[in-house]
Amino acid sequence: MSTFEQLQNVIASTIKIPPATITETSSKDDFSGSWDSLGHVNLMMALEQTFGIYLDVEDFAKLVSVPSILQYLKDQGIE
Amino acid sequence: MVHSKFAINKFLQTSSRSELRALLAATGVKLTLPQAQEIIAHAESLGATTAFRLGVIHTYTSDLLDPWLNFEAALQGLALQIYHAPYGITFQEASKNSGLVQHQPDVTLILLRREDLHPDLAYPLTRLSPSQQDELRNESIAELISLVSQFREQAVGQIVLTLLPFLNAPGLGLFDAQSERSEAVWWAKLKMEVAARISASLSACLFVDLDEVLLQIGRNNFFDHRFWYSSRFPFKTEAAQEIARRVVGLGAVIKFPKAKVIVLDADNTLWGGVIGEDGLSGLALGPDYPGNAFVDFQRRLLNFQQRGFLLALCSKNNPVDLDQVLQEHPHQILRDQHFAARRVNWEPKPDNLKALADELNLGLDSFIFVDDSSHECAAVRYALPQVEVIQTPSKAVEIPFCLDRVARLEVLSLTAEDLTKTEMYAQERMRREFMGNTGNNGLGGENYLQSLNMKMTINLDCIAHLSRLSQLTQKTNQFNLTTRRYNEHQIGEFIANKNCLVADFSLADVFGDSGIVGLAIFTIRSDNHADLDTFLMSCRVIGREAESAFLHALLRVLADRGIQEVYAEFLPTTKNGLAKDFLANQGFLAVAEGGYSWNLRNQAPKNQAAFPVTVMIDI
Repeated sequence: MSTFEQLQNVIASTIKIPPATITETSSKDDFSGSWDSLGHVNLMMALEQTFGIYLDVEDFAKLVSVPSILQYLKDQGIE
Repeated sequence: MVHSKFAINKFLQTSSRSELRALLAATGVKLTLPQAQEIIAHAESLGATTAFRLGVIHTYTSDLLDPWLNFEAALQGLALQIYHAPYGITFQEASKNSGLVQHQPDVTLILLRREDLHPDLAYPLTRLSPSQQDELRNESIAELISLVSQFREQAVGQIVLTLLPFLNAPGLGLFDAQSERSEAVWWAKLKMEVAARISASLSACLFVDLDEVLLQIGRNNFFDHRFWYSSRFPFKTEAAQEIARRVVGLGAVIKFPKAKVIVLDADNTLWGGVIGEDGLSGLALGPDYPGNAFVDFQRRLLNFQQRGFLLALCSKNNPVDLDQVLQEHPHQILRDQHFAARRVNWEPKPDNLKALADELNLGLDSFIFVDDSSHECAAVRYALPQVEVIQTPSKAVEIPFCLDRVARLEVLSLTAEDLTKTEMYAQERMRREFMGNTGNNGLGGENYLQSLNMKMTINLDCIAHLSRLSQLTQKTNQFNLTTRRYNEHQIGEFIANKNCLVADFSLADVFGDSGIVGLAIFTIRSDNHADLDTFLMSCRVIGREAESAFLHALLRVLADRGIQEVYAEFLPTTKNGLAKDFLANQGFLAVAEGGYSWNLRNQAPKNQAAFPVTVMIDI
């Protein structure tokens, strides 16, 4: 399973939307109903647990789209 | 902290929720949220769920607990509906038409920070002198009790009160423990007094000490500073899970049939080895490994007795072999007198469980079955799905605490009756033997009943019995005419209400005192008519005409008070068949709409002499 597919699953199960609606260019604003501030904090927790990373508070505000998260993971050595 | 990736397939292959819970507890894994979601889906497929309504009052972010609350609920077979009050403690939520009250919660969880109790707690406690500290503590406790009391006045279900532990170690550092201004001591005293005040004056209210969670998982694993400072949510995943498990566990205690008996296997459960094959000296039971783990398990089981649970024995053995261990093994802690009942034979265990249920007069849904054998556990799960089955871990070192996380073994209150349960059952065993000896083929009869010298004490509107009466409404399934369940708050309202009569009785005989075992609640209408809302009796005292003596004594009381007519009804359930004909047999007349009535003007209740029970009414 590619990193993108893993990320799709994490986002889908955390903010409760179908995985197929998440594309390589999706962002928080595309799902304003479900990906709200509560969902975002849940997502940060889920990302940490799924990919074994440690996020700082400053990172929360940056990781608001699939491309930004994928880039962050790549920078941590996860492709 | 890195979470290892592993397959959760084994969880998804479990075929019962108790199996799933046991596997999760045994594996001790740290699940990710997505994994938890998958397990939730699987757990939901394992059978029907029971609704559980939770209300949350909070001064810090609480909705981030939801995924874990939902997870724990799915594991227990509860369909959770949560209401989070709008941010902050608003007394509006403690009013009659609040969102909280409208949600009709079974449990209301109050999440408070310690600093909320008093503005002066924003500054170091240690700047105050000991007497100033005492004053501050008294004020803080008064604030807290006042807050909780306001919620208690409304129908908000069982209240669960928590105080968030401190993010940091005490301000004085290592010296705090020895300082006369110690922070830790101050909070310990506060918790102690809060708990005492709640026990004394607030019904259906439980203080759940989150410091115990802190002890269990460690401060480093409890607080998430990033989520705290960014979103005011204090918990790391492990803390959120532990808190959710405890809160939802209380939901299981409230919503499911009350557990009453722990039925234990013997070989490889209470000791290592098989007595019939290894002999007394071949058993692992004593100061060395692995025997010491089994000894600790037996010790831990004594604690469950203290919680008011009965222990029973169900073992495939020759009785002679098993008795040798109970009577002669020097390290055996559980002896014959600790077991309320036993089946030691070669019959299938499901049949033995049914026989135990008959003997103890308890439903199988109050049984918790504990056995090391996969085969026996599967057989019981299959034949008796209402029995909760716990398979003991295969590793001896994990056995001693294997029952500590069983939700239905938690208790919300303890009464005097709970502490003497086993004695009561031992007395009952003696009564049965006596009955056999009074020459009636074990069928009782007047000879036997008269020789018991029974004395019934009836109390009316007795607030001191609140906890026990609430417990009785929740635990009594068989001799119960209407099966209405009331928490302590609701019973308190009945007692306080001048237009209600709450009567209870205890029964003593030559063998001992059974404690409070019966309850009747009448509501009196302005036209001198009374309705019998509740009439129930513990099956422990069935067969002695106590229920009849009680009913007629109360009818006499009502007649003395000028009541002209009493209406009653029987609401059938799957369990109360034995009470079906009670009203008719006592002299009530069936009326058109399906209830029963007793006209006290032209039909007198029986007097005391009609029953082999001396009745005393304590007003």
